[in-house]
Amino acid sequence: MARRSFARLGLVVIGAAALVAAVAAQDVPPPLVSAQELLEGLKADGSRWLMFGGNYTNQRHSPLTQITPANVSRLAPQWVFQTDTAGRFETTPLVRDNVLYVTGPLNMAWAVDARTGREIWRYKRELPPTGGLTACCGLVNKGFGVLGDRLFLTTLDAHLLALNMKTGAIVWDTTLADYSKGYASTIAPLVVKDKVIVGVAGGEYGIRGFIDAYDAATGKLAWRFYTIPGPGEPGHDTWAGDSWERGGASVWVTGSYDPELNLVYYGIGNPGPDYHSESRKGDNLYSDSLVALDADTGKLRWHYQFTPHDLHDWDATQVPILADLTIAGQPRKVVMLANRNGFFYTLDRTNGKLLVGKPYVVTSWAKEIGADGRPVILPGYVPDEKGSLTCPDATGATNFWPPSYDPQQHLFFVNAREVCATFYAWKQEYVPGERYTGGAGQRATGPDKRAFGALRAIDPATGEQKWEFQYISPSTSGVLTTASGLAFSGDAEGNFLAIDSHTGKLLWHFQMGSALHGTSPITYMLDGRQHILVPAGTTLTAWALNEVPRVPSTR
Amino acid sequence: MKWLHLVLAVLVLGAADVVAQDVFLKIPADPPTKNPLEGNAEAITAGMGTYRVRCADCHGMDARGIRGPDITQVWAKGRTDAALFRTIRTGVPNTEMPAHPAPRTTDTDIWRILAYLKTMAPATAEGPSSGNASAGAGLFATNCVACHRVGTSGGHLGPDLTRIGVARARAALARQIRGNMPDVRAGYQSVTLAAPDGKEIRGVKKNEDQFSVQVMDTRERIQGYLRDDMKSVTDENKSMMPVFGPDKLTDAQLDDLLAYLESLQGNDAAPSAANR
Repeated sequence: MARRSFARLGLVVIGAAALVAAVAAQDVPPPLVSAQELLEGLKADGSRWLMFGGNYTNQRHSPLTQITPANVSRLAPQWVFQTDTAGRFETTPLVRDNVLYVTGPLNMAWAVDARTGREIWRYKRELPPTGGLTACCGLVNKGFGVLGDRLFLTTLDAHLLALNMKTGAIVWDTTLADYSKGYASTIAPLVVKDKVIVGVAGGEYGIRGFIDAYDAATGKLAWRFYTIPGPGEPGHDTWAGDSWERGGASVWVTGSYDPELNLVYYGIGNPGPDYHSESRKGDNLYSDSLVALDADTGKLRWHYQFTPHDLHDWDATQVPILADLTIAGQPRKVVMLANRNGFFYTLDRTNGKLLVGKPYVVTSWAKEIGADGRPVILPGYVPDEKGSLTCPDATGATNFWPPSYDPQQHLFFVNAREVCATFYAWKQEYVPGERYTGGAGQRATGPDKRAFGALRAIDPATGEQKWEFQYISPSTSGVLTTASGLAFSGDAEGNFLAIDSHTGKLLWHFQMGSALHGTSPITYMLDGRQHILVPAGTTLTAWALNEVPRVPSTR
Repeated sequence: MKWLHLVLAVLVLGAADVVAQDVFLKIPADPPTKNPLEGNAEAITAGMGTYRVRCADCHGMDARGIRGPDITQVWAKGRTDAALFRTIRTGVPNTEMPAHPAPRTTDTDIWRILAYLKTMAPATAEGPSSGNASAGAGLFATNCVACHRVGTSGGHLGPDLTRIGVARARAALARQIRGNMPDVRAGYQSVTLAAPDGKEIRGVKKNEDQFSVQVMDTRERIQGYLRDDMKSVTDENKSMMPVFGPDKLTDAQLDDLLAYLESLQGNDAAPSAANR
């Protein structure tokens, strides 16, 4: 009895809070998304999600608390949206003023009514009429950027588009690079002040990577940073001969931004050809590095290379997360990155100095990260024709699926993979537009080499693991955390999971029919209810607590 | 390699969409009739890497077949380089063998794979079996048919053997029967579930996730179970197939059985055999 009346009281309290929130939100938001809104990021009223990582820190952590460890098991589906096309979501949807803005596979995108899941408009760009697209790993897209009344979208044929938010009509269309030479773009644009920052994919096709900033108003190029230095530039001598011309170093995962330092941070892709050492002697800067660029000019402030002369396709295209930490009694502005190479890094984001570098999976290629910031390489690092067994595999200890960071708990959450592979390498001639890897990796199998995955909670001040939740096979899901102590994740078998972010205990699960791949849910408030929006396969599903009274805003 | 499959699936789906729009359709020039890279050491090495990454999941590291057929016997059985090239390029309709279109797979990639495969292929076919196939058919009816299907009769717990004479070399079949194969094909792993009422459910594991397991039990009932509903779920990490040692099957009987299995070359009346 007592329990029931407490529950009732709880509902009344939640209902009242929802009412207050709804009244507070009665003001119609301004028609244009301002740079100030982007700076504010995720607000406590839950009214919006306006960029890839939720805010410029890329923490992917929501302040919302209506859904809790105690009630998460009562989440109910509100609607399901189907793309009605082949391919699958790898996107982070945006939400503003009760409308979702979602990019999909095959150069498609939608505006969707967040109340009902009904389509408002649809954008589809025809794939190129001749030649082949070379996107190595699926005809996907990772999400919109937004500013003013415009959405920004990268395309598989390496364009950047500005679309009208109300109609999906093209406002401007800029060519990033020639797709027939192996360039593509799948990255979610990062909007900083009046600029739209993007990068290009194609690290398996002998491209020369770059990060571009375009004027949001006109689509004109504001600056370009080549991820491989040209002749005469510092770092050019880290590429033997002319190997720099086709050295890859692609950029396909959204960076983060520190407004005080006015720096953007981007992880850079692998050097090419991926596996063959002799084809590109040297450290191969800035492949597999984190670069800090002046947001106004694109000038390099500092770089840190995680894997000098990488031979295992270990792009550093993981999501860099910014936070303020106390390490050994010292307050630090840091950038954190769980790397594909198996090490977790915490760097001082003012200068790029290594603060923490610790393995978070089994690693066999480096003993440790030395005091000079370079990995201490172990024998067997260089693959050859006979093959060499290395951990992690080419897909890596983690990859592009976004991690999250809880600033109250000071914990970093990442879906990690425990997989080893035999790597082979051979010399390969470069042919423009053709795959250029110089080898391959084969996942090691057998009873003694069980491949599995785990959601791991890591203390970024030490690199130590606080807890883990294991999966029977490696997951490629991103993570969303909330201030109420929830971590949302997914497994490779298609289960959507709610986990207690303090303990790692599983609280609730639902079979979505397809894995959350390379993306995480987002969360927002709508009509007084907190919603969790889950992209999985060809569907978006919105979840909320039916027990919370719906308070429609009728403005 | 699930990862690779997912990636391939996306590419294949993407490609299907593209073909429907009649764009990107690249018609390759007729390939040469003889592998231009046969015996080329560099090509063989490159082909080995590509083979291991893109073919070995189904055909095995030794090319002796897992889900896909043994492909060490293809030349001995009279297939030509050009025909094999086309099979890799276009796939095999109604089977799991996918097409490998350009530009992801170049002509050179395919010739390299074939150059490597050739190094694993015996120059001549295995000699005729010394066993008696009709005696083998009797042994099959006694020992095997409860689980294995040939044509329209037999059980469903084990793989369909209607085309096994094409898909597997005799030596591999002998190893399997004698229990000397370390790997278990997915979908045929033995699993035992203990229900709270003391009942035991034994069968082959068809699928699983962290919350459930899907089983065909020894009575061929297909059913999913929640792990939480069971006292235990025990993976035996071995095939459900019993080992037929010399105590159960003499060497001479094994030869007879092998002769019968080799005679199973497929049957148009049994469409289920196509997928092998």
